[in-house]
Amino acid sequence: MDTHKKIREHISAFADGASPAADVDLALAALQGDDGRQTWALYHHIGDVLRVDPGPPLSPGFAASLAARLAAEPLPGKRVAASAAAAAAAAAAASTEPVPAGAAPVASA
Amino acid sequence: MRLVGRLVHDQAEAEDVVQETFIKAFRALRHFRGDSAFYTWLYRIGINTAKNFLVTQGRRAPTSTENDVERAEGFDDAESLRDINTPESVLASKQIAYTVNAAMDALPLELRTAIVLREIEGLSYEEISEVMACPIGTVRSRIFRAREVIADKLRPLLDMPGHKRK
Repeated sequence: MDTHKKIREHISAFADGASPAADVDLALAALQGDDGRQTWALYHHIGDVLRVDPGPPLSPGFAASLAARLAAEPLPGKRVAASAAAAAAAAAAASTEPVPAGAAPVASA
Repeated sequence: MRLVGRLVHDQAEAEDVVQETFIKAFRALRHFRGDSAFYTWLYRIGINTAKNFLVTQGRRAPTSTENDVERAEGFDDAESLRDINTPESVLASKQIAYTVNAAMDALPLELRTAIVLREIEGLSYEEISEVMACPIGTVRSRIFRAREVIADKLRPLLDMPGHKRK
């Protein structure tokens, strides 16, 4: 990476408040020059333009559609209970011994 | 949606990805241990879902699309400035917005994701490093490279006399 590019990388990180302590002086020194100040202004300009565009709004049915899909999902906690119960039931079914009534786990989810 | 919308350009497809993100997050809630912030965890699911979607669609980032034009035409921030700005400066603002957004859309996915998370979502480098599962140095480099690409496209416009008068 050439020197100018390295300096611009310092400025980029400094503009985000993410310069390593060792690089802060380098960034500050770079900002004393015209190139450095121009780069600083340009990077901020880019951020300003990007933040202006809010993107398209969500379509009207989005929230209802998502709510319906979420409502159709089993609750995460019950999924655990259900899978444990299913595993236990499978184990019981694989057993040749009769399972006493009431001893087999029953999935209530 | 702002993040996914920048990664998946079609509005309907982006909404599908957002919905899938929330469903996946809901299903995986029991795996969330609180080691990271919930929102960085959710961002990560969103980015991975968008990436998977793009892979299955076999798509590459468009370099210039009708969407860019629509976005540029829909760039309305000049509305409030119209009273004090000249037609030339309003046009310059629109050209700048178009150039920045077109350059953004042409960025490789990793660079685009990094700069969106920083500039639009306002995440710190540390948070971006968590979301993107990469070292902070890589985050710094990706954001810088994204800025460089956009800046290269923007410099000629900013040298325009009309813009300098602004």
